[in-house]
Amino acid sequence: MAASIYLPMLEYFMYYLYQAVVPRTVKMAEDQDWTAVYPTAASFKPSAVPLPIRMGYPLKGGVSPDKQGNLELIKIPNFLHLTPAAIKKHCEALKPFLTEWPSALDSDEKCTEHFPIQVQTKDFVSSGASLRNPNARIVTMKVPLSSLNLDDHARKKIIKLAKERYCEETDTLTLVTDSCPLKQQNYDHAMYLLTVLYHESWKMEAWEEDKAREDMEEYEWQDSPSQRNVVELLERTKGTEERKKDLLSQPEVQEYKDAIVIMKNHGETEENLLRYKEAVKKLYNI
Amino acid sequence: MPMLMHKNVFPQMLESTWHVRSVHISAVCLKNRAARIRISKGDRPLTYEQTYHPHHIGHLKGWLSQHTGNLHGEDGAAQFIIEDVFVRRFIFGTFCGCLADELVLKRRGNQLIICAILNRKLATSKIYFLVGYVEELLSHFYKIPVKLELQIVNEKNIYKYV
Repeated sequence: MAASIYLPMLEYFMYYLYQAVVPRTVKMAEDQDWTAVYPTAASFKPSAVPLPIRMGYPLKGGVSPDKQGNLELIKIPNFLHLTPAAIKKHCEALKPFLTEWPSALDSDEKCTEHFPIQVQTKDFVSSGASLRNPNARIVTMKVPLSSLNLDDHARKKIIKLAKERYCEETDTLTLVTDSCPLKQQNYDHAMYLLTVLYHESWKMEAWEEDKAREDMEEYEWQDSPSQRNVVELLERTKGTEERKKDLLSQPEVQEYKDAIVIMKNHGETEENLLRYKEAVKKLYNI
Repeated sequence: MPMLMHKNVFPQMLESTWHVRSVHISAVCLKNRAARIRISKGDRPLTYEQTYHPHHIGHLKGWLSQHTGNLHGEDGAAQFIIEDVFVRRFIFGTFCGCLADELVLKRRGNQLIICAILNRKLATSKIYFLVGYVEELLSHFYKIPVKLELQIVNEKNIYKYV
């Protein structure tokens, strides 16, 4: 395998003069195995890297200092041990320890459908004699409530129990556990909390019968002062011959009910207010 | 007047000793004299490291010591500084007169890698012995793997004369 050899004449002469060993760069073939030169992370060795690199701020009218004895090149981290050839070798070495991705899980939706619980943990790497980092024990578990089997009462109850751990926009319940010293313990604790929340939300306690209008999470139009006012208004305008049920089933009343419910539950926006205005105008037949 | 407060017994107690103005002295920082070699006749050679001053670090110079202690949420910075100071003095004394430039200390995981540039003052066999001595002693002292990576230069790299 004949290859051209990098032969800087001045360098060769200088080394001959000082009766020193010829640098490895002189003897390197172009198609050599670079992973043998830099098998692991190591500082920059000018006699082993056959590149004419210069580093440093040049003096006026000068050039950057040469790579020989250049402290700046030693200071910086280099990636000479991570060339594509080296990474390919790493991958080949890792392959026996890997298994194939299950072919049935070929989209994100399928993954969230079959595995709704998402657990996040952090591992820390730092310099120093100790591996331990107390922040590595924190476990964050996220579950979408739609994946749990909850009826209306259970859903409202679990949201009330979770308080700020439930996010409405994404419909996720987030549990962050850090009270135990080990990650495994915190993970078990999070699973236990989820189980307890689920079962507790299905239970109906005796005192839950006393839930009043003020405890309701959403505005309900049924039996509200608004409904009573509308019924009174219609009775006065149309007479008392028609019954309450017929009054309430009229389309204007339904429209008014929708406008009120949306305004109370979702806040007052421009379009909500417009809708309310139209509904009231229709009620009064303006 | 009680006996103790009589002016003939303790005259200085009647002077108000807690209203005295005092001078507070703190250690001088000398930020404008740190790591600077002053300009002289023009015959003093300087290396690249000596030429550029501490405020050039990050601009024209790199860092001589690398570790994760100064990152957000990480601790150990003070411990690494103390270790670095000791290691630099130790190596300076062990390879007395052989060092061509400052040491570069790199911490990779739990390893400490000392990168040194030596000149040709010592024989090769002596250098090998000192390398083994340094690595063995510091590894046992700090309980971490310590490696010495050397580069031999014929003479110091002179950047500038001041």
